Amino acid sequence: MAQKEAVQKEDRHVHVAFVGNPNCGKTTLFNAVTGAKLKVANWPGVTVEKFEGNIEYEGYELKLVDTPGIYSLSCYTIEEQVTRRCVQDDDIEVIVNVVDASSLERNLYLTLQLLELGKPVILALNMMDIVKERGLEIDLHRLPEMLGDIPVVPVSAAKRTGLDILLHAVVHHYVEGPKEDIMNYGPGIEDRLARLEDMMRSNYPSHSLTRWHAIKLLEDDEQVRREHPIEIREVADRSYEKEIIQKKYQYIEEIVEETLFHKEKKAAQTDRVDAVLTHPFWGVPVFLCIMAMVFFLTFAVGDFLKGGFEVALAGFSEAARMLLLRIHTADWLVSLVVDGIIAGVGGILTFLPNIFILFLALGILEDSGYMSRVAYVMDGIMGKVGLSGKAFLPMILGFGCTVPAIMATRALETEHDRKKVMVITPFMSCSARLPVYVLFSDMFFPENPMLPAFSMYVIGLVISILVALVMNRAEKGKVNDSLLIELPEYKRPNPRTIRTYVWNKLRDYLTKAGTTIFLASIAIWFVLNFGVTGMVGDTADSFGAAIGRFLVPVLAPAGLGLWQIVVALISGISAKEVVVSSFAVLFGVSNANSTAGMETIISNIRRFDPSFGPLNAFCLMLFVLLYVPCAATIGTIRKESGSLKFTLRLMAFQILFAWLVSVLVFQLGSLILG
Amino acid sequence: MTLYEGEVGVSYSVQGLSMEDGLTRRLQALGLNEGTRVKILNRKKQGALILSVRGTRLAVGKHITDHIEVCAAQENSVKEKEAGD
Repeated sequence: MAQKEAVQKEDRHVHVAFVGNPNCGKTTLFNAVTGAKLKVANWPGVTVEKFEGNIEYEGYELKLVDTPGIYSLSCYTIEEQVTRRCVQDDDIEVIVNVVDASSLERNLYLTLQLLELGKPVILALNMMDIVKERGLEIDLHRLPEMLGDIPVVPVSAAKRTGLDILLHAVVHHYVEGPKEDIMNYGPGIEDRLARLEDMMRSNYPSHSLTRWHAIKLLEDDEQVRREHPIEIREVADRSYEKEIIQKKYQYIEEIVEETLFHKEKKAAQTDRVDAVLTHPFWGVPVFLCIMAMVFFLTFAVGDFLKGGFEVALAGFSEAARMLLLRIHTADWLVSLVVDGIIAGVGGILTFLPNIFILFLALGILEDSGYMSRVAYVMDGIMGKVGLSGKAFLPMILGFGCTVPAIMATRALETEHDRKKVMVITPFMSCSARLPVYVLFSDMFFPENPMLPAFSMYVIGLVISILVALVMNRAEKGKVNDSLLIELPEYKRPNPRTIRTYVWNKLRDYLTKAGTTIFLASIAIWFVLNFGVTGMVGDTADSFGAAIGRFLVPVLAPAGLGLWQIVVALISGISAKEVVVSSFAVLFGVSNANSTAGMETIISNIRRFDPSFGPLNAFCLMLFVLLYVPCAATIGTIRKESGSLKFTLRLMAFQILFAWLVSVLVFQLGSLILG
Repeated sequence: MTLYEGEVGVSYSVQGLSMEDGLTRRLQALGLNEGTRVKILNRKKQGALILSVRGTRLAVGKHITDHIEVCAAQENSVKEKEAGD
């Protein structure tokens, strides 16, 4: 024992990276291993999220990091660059390669690349249940042999089995160190590699990973060539990447031949589901029905759950006022807390059930594997406006929140396409605009509130596609038909994954309510309760009213000629929900989203503008849909586009466009409705 | 013939890829090389295909499938592979 102890490494901190293909269940496995103690940060230099977790196992402190899903360690996409930089780093001591056992052949390609790094690799075989379902068997003795005796551990990320064995393998393998090379590329390439390795060693004596770098040099890899400029022309006259890839796949075919057995042939369930969901004709209608269902649930179930929240909020607001008055708080402070903060923040919280249902539905769609089908289904329509079907994925995410949607444009191949999608994605109604729709539909369309609210989603979608079409025509663009996306196996959504996803989104919403909306509510309260003479009794004398009145003539043609609406719209740039909280603060309503609150708001609006009716409300919703997105989105667009000029021009376009459309609708509507 | 001209439900063997280098490399990393067997699972009017490649499904646009040269795959080996699809 003592001897074994001595052999064990002194350093008991082990850095482990989880690496794998997209859709292999890597993140689910990572969450299962690390539990809830996740740390979220960004990878250096990019806004790709980086998840880290620490656990202790057998006396070792394991620092685990989840990397973005990739197919290859090349550097064509941001995800590939991020993952590659991470695993190349000397810090990472052990690599857990998560593999979808049901598509072993493709997944092993990344495995062979990882093995070339010369670091300990552990293969976590996930999705073994699908393998079984399909009547397949994997030889778990031969597979590790053919991969150079690395540990191969069957795990189930969803059922949380095999996790202990996996962690034990990590620790054990860390102590033991890496295994020998297994790939032999044949004399022509191996000779060149040997010479390149010598060159690497003499040029960079302290460098580890020499074979990896030699291979990458032979592939004429851009990053390695830039970071390690060696004159290699006499060794390699051209890129040997094609041959190297083919050799790897040849070896994988050998592995699959020897380790994968077909017991019985079963048709994959996925193909039967796909026959309906990706049907050449029915695919699009089915997709539209699914989205309609999502929004129906969001409004109907969300509204049903809202009742409880309203009662609680009204009670809390009243209790706070009583308490503050009892302890003789100054009047202005009572007003700030109750009319400013509780009204502003609390009103937003009552929309939590709607937001919850929306993200639950989006989470299920994503985890089940349907989302990438949408890219295929919508490819024809998107192709006509010069974008690939993939461009539709950020747009769907935009129904949840525009910020991650803008980030998701990274998956697109060209800078040009990314910017185009950044222009149209803000037109997709995000969850923050939902409270505005719900409130104004309930107030002005009491018979059928779901229709105008739902129409905002359709109008947003249609406008975004039309704008893309006009842009494509203007630049004489062609039809885009270079879609390339993997369609993963359909699976039952994992409750744990969904829970994490929905909770993260709700936490973001709550955080926003506690920070941005909180501060915005205070700011609005000040702007509305103070004027040139100090604190004012009537908001009509406040700074806010002065600013609002200044802009009233601009918005009057759109039926929005009230200084209160102008103030609400301006403050809505901090976050779209603030439009609702502003109305609450403006009209002294403790909960805008309650029957009494709505009546107060309507009667107040009518006091200033007796003709304010459904058409005005519709134009307000339309304006909120189309005008500049929230500050967080603007910041993200600035960061992701890397251009302030682009961002400013986009904002100018959005304001002008929102104004034009709502003026048009109001003027035409007034004519028709007489 | 090109893969785009193929029929649903039929397997083909890839003969060559002729498109931009970056795209070629990405397809190769996904397992689409010379000699790889590909089965067309589904197709749209506008041209995107769903392919079965090495046990996974890929949705691929016309621009790409138009530049993949294929020939009909041999019958006996097709059966073997299909079981893995």
